[in-house]
Amino acid sequence: MAEITYICKRTVVSTKPTQPRKYHSFSILDHLMEKNHIRIVYYSKSWGEKEAGEITVSLRESISEMLTHFPKVTGRLIRNEKGNWMIKCNDAGVRMVEARAKGSVEDWLKSVDREKELKLVYWEDMIHKPYFWSTFYVQITEFEKGGVAIGLSCFHLLADPICATMFLKAWADKTLGQKMVSPPFFHTLPTRRPINKTSNHKPYTDLINHYKFSIENTTPFLDANHTHTTITLSFSDHMVQACMDMVQPTSTPNKPNPSSPFEALAGLLWICISKVKGLRNGLVNMSLCLDQRKVLGLDKGFFGNCMVYNKVHSNGLEEHNLSQATKVIGEALEKMDNEGIMDLIEWLEHNDSQSHPLMNNCDLICASLETVEPYSVDFVGGFEPIQVSYYVEPVIGIGQVLIFRAPSYDGPLGRVVMVTLPKDEIVKLCEDELIFHLSPRILMGVARNYA
Amino acid sequence: MPPILPDFSNSVKLKYVKLGYQYLVNHILTLTLIPIMAAIFIEVLGMGPDEISNLWKSLHFDLVQILCSAFLIIFIATVYFMSKPRTIFLVDYACFKPPITCRVPFATFMEHSRLNLKNNPKSVEFQMRILERSGLGEETCLPPAIHYIPPNPTMEAARGEAELVIFSAMDSLFEKTGLNPKDIDILIVNCSLFSPTPSLSAMVINKYKLRSNIKSFNLSGMGCSAGLISIDLARDLLQVHPNSNAVIVSTEIITPNYYQGNERAMLLPNCLFRMGGAAILLSNRRSERRRAKYRLVHVVRTHKGADDKAYRCVYEEEDKEGKVGISLSKDLMAIAGEALKSNITTIGPLVLPASEQLLFLLTLIGRKIFNPKWKPYIPDFKQAFEHFCIHAGGRAVIDELQKNLQLSSEHVEASRMALHRFGNTSSSSLWYELSYIEAKGRMKRGDRVWQIAFGSGFKCNSAVWKCNQSIKAPTDGPWADCIDRYPVHIPEIVKL
Repeated sequence: MAEITYICKRTVVSTKPTQPRKYHSFSILDHLMEKNHIRIVYYSKSWGEKEAGEITVSLRESISEMLTHFPKVTGRLIRNEKGNWMIKCNDAGVRMVEARAKGSVEDWLKSVDREKELKLVYWEDMIHKPYFWSTFYVQITEFEKGGVAIGLSCFHLLADPICATMFLKAWADKTLGQKMVSPPFFHTLPTRRPINKTSNHKPYTDLINHYKFSIENTTPFLDANHTHTTITLSFSDHMVQACMDMVQPTSTPNKPNPSSPFEALAGLLWICISKVKGLRNGLVNMSLCLDQRKVLGLDKGFFGNCMVYNKVHSNGLEEHNLSQATKVIGEALEKMDNEGIMDLIEWLEHNDSQSHPLMNNCDLICASLETVEPYSVDFVGGFEPIQVSYYVEPVIGIGQVLIFRAPSYDGPLGRVVMVTLPKDEIVKLCEDELIFHLSPRILMGVARNYA
Repeated sequence: MPPILPDFSNSVKLKYVKLGYQYLVNHILTLTLIPIMAAIFIEVLGMGPDEISNLWKSLHFDLVQILCSAFLIIFIATVYFMSKPRTIFLVDYACFKPPITCRVPFATFMEHSRLNLKNNPKSVEFQMRILERSGLGEETCLPPAIHYIPPNPTMEAARGEAELVIFSAMDSLFEKTGLNPKDIDILIVNCSLFSPTPSLSAMVINKYKLRSNIKSFNLSGMGCSAGLISIDLARDLLQVHPNSNAVIVSTEIITPNYYQGNERAMLLPNCLFRMGGAAILLSNRRSERRRAKYRLVHVVRTHKGADDKAYRCVYEEEDKEGKVGISLSKDLMAIAGEALKSNITTIGPLVLPASEQLLFLLTLIGRKIFNPKWKPYIPDFKQAFEHFCIHAGGRAVIDELQKNLQLSSEHVEASRMALHRFGNTSSSSLWYELSYIEAKGRMKRGDRVWQIAFGSGFKCNSAVWKCNQSIKAPTDGPWADCIDRYPVHIPEIVKL
């Protein structure tokens, strides 16, 4: 049913011209994400203006003002001498699509699924002439009976989900007329100071090995026409607490629960997904993906890719034991420290090959977006968004799990989990007993009619 | 090879000779009158008071003679004052400041051009070359309908743009002058390419609830010089209607005229025309004398339409695919030069000081009688005017006029900077330029301004204004937020 009508597509530019002849090159972590793109959908209730289109107008004005601080976003891609991408800050702007939808946001959310939700965020794959291709797309869909959906999609080369969220936060701050909390920080990744290079320094090999493996194995696990679908589960505070308790059934008073919400939920989903895939003994290959801004000592507003993958070693885990799975996850997380990441970056820069792979083409990727608060992005003034969804596309590996913080009414431990798997497996996942036991709220389920 | 004489000493001597000549001829009356009066005064001083009273008595005035002479003087004075044309004052004017969200940087313009004209890379290349050399900046604005991919020029969007531009300019004018809409007696709106029914002037009357006996006019199809045509019309009307206010709205609505085809000659206007508008308040009321900014001195209109080439040089027509656009012919600059020459031939005697006119006359006689090979003397208009507002039709127009009139770069600065900041806003560009001069604080009492505009047809119109009072740099207006950045250096070719 044609619920969404597209009104127009246009380009929004910043309010102040950018300085001419400025270029921006990418780090090695950026180049590794060349084949992916991110999509974020924000649902918000209406504010102030009641006339159709007025919200769009005010959002357009605020994004223009905000884009003055993001010359990288309004620039265009060109190749540098080495043949790698770089951005020419030519002030071309960002594409914006405006749409209208029938009904209200609440009605929409009752029956939304992946396919419908992706209609709210416009994306174009790179065209033949990348110099005229916008790397960021924004879609504003106004619901006739109230509510607004803001869709942001961007090329993963320029941004990771963390800074894409900060971009939205900056836009929201500007819409409310406030100053930006964390202005964007465009900088290269930190390099190791020469003094620290001691002779008997062994590079941390685990991370490097994982990346080496991914780069060398570029064939996708699943073919492209295997349809995936996504569901969103919301775990409130007590559900996450229950999950953490399952990890550590006997939490003695002087040893507090060592696992974090992320570890617990990641472990839970790892086991459930392995079961769904039919693995009786052992677990599927999984990689974790975490934000390293704090680890590297970078400012929260660092704009660029700063999320690193690490494989979780499931050797020796025969049965589906949540505590053991979580423990192994914790170990993998600990190894992603400053030294390890710096080693990895150095190795990658040394071995920079032209063909950049899809980092998420084999394993189950479990990404943590813990370092941002998506529900704190407030366009209305005093109201949290009704719902937020993240997608990192394309997913052609085993599957993908994204875990991020839940709205404040779900408590500090509350988390939202978005799982992307092949259609048939998702159905089985919903019926899994572990998940059923915790009974999370299903924010977005499977489409009712599927072949 | 003869030794090159040091030009310096020669030019210095020549400069003083020129100055001396100009002073002599321009003040010839004063210079002849003063010695005569001095002589009489000395004579009178020489005579004693008795001789003066004797002289007085010998004149034999009787009552009838005195009365008749008095009546004659009064009669002549009355006829003189009655037949003198009413002074037209420009009380104030307001320019439309486009919203910053309508800005079109070069990169965006080129990108849209590329996306909309997918099948014609040559046309895109052409547009890029034009844009590089156009003299426009990165802050010019296009109306919202043109920002769409593809552009969506509906009539509703065109009306929307008209309302935005005209109502903003008029609101701004009312605020600046404190004018009550009910006090407007004459309304003239000129917009060349968009002419809906009811007219734009009717739109203004409807919005501001103007009086039912208002004299309203809507001029369309008259090109970029329509602004000065409106001024001329207002002046003539204000001669007939005493004690009246006239509001003139000059604008060009871009939305319906964005050419969407591939013909190169028709793509040129897309690259240059931008959103803009101005509202001007003219009055012939005595009470406005104190606060009016300018006084209208002359309006000279020249029309070269009788010449076929001139008539066809800016022509709106359909291209091979049936898309309507305005085609500019290759000899546009030559025709503009001709039209300018015609215009300055008419305006020269009205404004040039006697020294320049005498030189011109002498050279003319010399050429006719003695030697036709003498170079025609181009009068120095810098002596007649302090400020020049040349319609910012494009960089070529300004360059051509600068060359023809031998103006310095400071004289054409207002035109170049208005082109850079606002683009070619058609009939309102003269007002943006005037606003620039005021914003720079250069307008002093008694300064004379020459506004020159070219338009399709082919027309060349000029208006001469005299500044009524020194104008302090205004804190509002279209240049308020960016005047400190100007003047900028505009490179010959901007690398895109």
